[in-house]
Amino acid sequence: MITEIEHHRGGARSAAFIGIVVLMCASAMTFSALVSAMVVRRGLNATDWHRISLPHILWWNTGILLLSSVAIDLARRLLRRGKRTEFNYAWTAGTVLGTLFLIGQVVAWNQVAGDGFRLQHSLSAAFFYVLTWAHAAHVVGALGAVGYVEYRAVRYQLGPANRTVVDVSAMFWHFLDVLWLGLMALFAFWS
Amino acid sequence: MSERLDAPANLSLFETASLSVERQYLTGLRIRSQSDPGVRATQAELYGGVAGTGQVVCDYVPELALRTSIFSTDHRIIARQYFYLSLIAVLFGVVLSILMRFHLVYPQAQVKWFAWLWPVKASGGVMTPELYLSLMTLHGTLMVFFVLTLAPLNAFGNLVMPEQLRAEGMAFPRLNMLSFWTTVVSFLLLIASFTCQDGGPLSGWTAYPPLSALGPIAGPGQGLGQTLWFFSIGVFCIAATLTSINFIATVIELREPDMGMMQMPLPCWNWFVTAILSLLSFPVLFAAGLLILLDRLAGTAFFLPGAGGSPLLWQHLFWFFGHPEVYIAILPGMGTVSHVISTYSGRPIFGYRAMVYATIAIAFLGMLVWGHHMFVSGLSPYSAIAFSVLTMAIGAPSAVKTFNWIATLWGRQLQLPTAMLFSLGFISIFVTGGLSGLFLGQPQIDAYFHDTYFVVAHFHLIMGVASLFGIFAGTFYWFPLMFGRNLNERLGKLHFYLTFVFAYTTFLPMHFAGFAGNPRRYADFTTFDFLVPVMPLQKWITHSAFTLAAVQLIFIWNLAWSILRNDHRD
Repeated sequence: MITEIEHHRGGARSAAFIGIVVLMCASAMTFSALVSAMVVRRGLNATDWHRISLPHILWWNTGILLLSSVAIDLARRLLRRGKRTEFNYAWTAGTVLGTLFLIGQVVAWNQVAGDGFRLQHSLSAAFFYVLTWAHAAHVVGALGAVGYVEYRAVRYQLGPANRTVVDVSAMFWHFLDVLWLGLMALFAFWS
Repeated sequence: MSERLDAPANLSLFETASLSVERQYLTGLRIRSQSDPGVRATQAELYGGVAGTGQVVCDYVPELALRTSIFSTDHRIIARQYFYLSLIAVLFGVVLSILMRFHLVYPQAQVKWFAWLWPVKASGGVMTPELYLSLMTLHGTLMVFFVLTLAPLNAFGNLVMPEQLRAEGMAFPRLNMLSFWTTVVSFLLLIASFTCQDGGPLSGWTAYPPLSALGPIAGPGQGLGQTLWFFSIGVFCIAATLTSINFIATVIELREPDMGMMQMPLPCWNWFVTAILSLLSFPVLFAAGLLILLDRLAGTAFFLPGAGGSPLLWQHLFWFFGHPEVYIAILPGMGTVSHVISTYSGRPIFGYRAMVYATIAIAFLGMLVWGHHMFVSGLSPYSAIAFSVLTMAIGAPSAVKTFNWIATLWGRQLQLPTAMLFSLGFISIFVTGGLSGLFLGQPQIDAYFHDTYFVVAHFHLIMGVASLFGIFAGTFYWFPLMFGRNLNERLGKLHFYLTFVFAYTTFLPMHFAGFAGNPRRYADFTTFDFLVPVMPLQKWITHSAFTLAAVQLIFIWNLAWSILRNDHRD
């Protein structure tokens, strides 16, 4: 049986892609607002800006998040080729790595707080927490979508012609990667 | 990106299964779609699940009243729901403005039922300044968010846009329903914030810190009420973002296949650009709200100068949202007016392309001028000049629109039903309100006019009355689409003429109060010697405002009668 996947203007698949891109724009605007608030505040008076020491685990978390993205994209490609069992393995790996990232973030928050940088302690710490929390909230939401795909995948409800939810979730997951890399660059070089 | 796939080779689990239609849906070999006859044919079989698995694989749910009239995904019903919500909000808002205007000219009056309504805030029947400020805050918040944002974009956009694009509905119907009910939650939070024991929030709709960021220590009304207010706005931001996702996806995806962007009716263009503005601005307000809530609840100091924060940061973030919000309110009205004027002058709109580009230019420039709200906040004079020049530049596309409307009307035998009258009124009010913007856009002049009644006059005309005229034009023009009936034209015309006259007599004199240096946000002018000569003018404004409000009863009567009783369906 040969089926073509619908991808034309007006199709559900095409609409889903537009929807997720627009959602990513909204998230990007929220983060731009928070980041520009941080940059402007730092520019107003740099003398009382305490540089926080980034815990090493954040770099491990970055690696884990990137790996999860690789796994999820591998899974997406496998599904497109119709390899549904392999897709399940790769997607599950991505889900587990994504959850690990979240656990790693909790550890990182504890370490930053342990160094004396509590939320109320200084503005630099407060901006660090707000940005990482906002990112983590996005990851929790995205894990919901990824978990939903997982739920349907293990029941073999997804196939090469029914993979919009997979593509859309993967796209958002990669977006969170890029967002995180941006945040790490900000913390490492600018905070 | 379409690929041909030999799917069965990969279906190891279903090798032995016969690939019946429902199996094809299940395995993704067929895409499910409501318009696919295959789905309808097998809905009954599919509902309740695939044998043995207990899974529901299709969205079919028996139609319950709850689904069709309350939690409906039909864009027309959702449009009506938004319309009713705005109507409730506008009635609240008008009553509040009557109370405020009354207090301004009779600050010492003892009104028995004030004491009954607010035993603490108006003990003895005399309104306290805090009560006045909380009424002002509720008035501004209701009008800006729940009337000027919801009615033109969400109500009329939902109603008309799919029809004009010849689409079956919005791109994401369930998301649409979710946005509406999220908005309702936001509305309830807002109302709840005003019933708090220590009084409602009194920071105005702009909620400037540091007072709004400190918590209960800042005084009455700054406790739970202000916190709930921020939560309400945060929830509204989420709803507005969801709405904009839906609108943008609908315009891009669901246009009739042979309808290019430049063939779209002008209202659709305006809703589209408004949705983009919404998308770019509400998330920023959300971020600002997040930071200020942390200041209030978690002990941070983003906006508190004593602890290293900066209240100016709030002003930047707020007005980055706040200025585009003005265009979110007015752009849909411009679309409606273009459409109505074109209809009743019996010719296509003059300069369609110019109108589209002007809309885009207004929105683009509108994103870059937030600093003109902060000329007196200690902004660097260099950035003030940049903001000022960009602000003036908005006059150009606005003039393009105005001249194109006039050119469309030029030399035609006009029909003048109520919708057309409101559209012509819109042009008049838009020009009047816009001209005072040219004064306020200059830092030197704004230094004097800032925080005076001149500003109140300016934004009430351009943002309030002009947008409302757009809403009225839309209501009269699209009422048949919304309720299957017509509004009464005779009552409509009476309503228009009276509203037009009393809107001017209410808001024009405010300019003069502004010239005299009458500050806004004051609960009582009577204690200032320099304002004694302005009091007769303020009394005039109050009486005119009362009449303006009373005149709206004609509209309410017309609306109620037409929805409930009128069988006139011509």
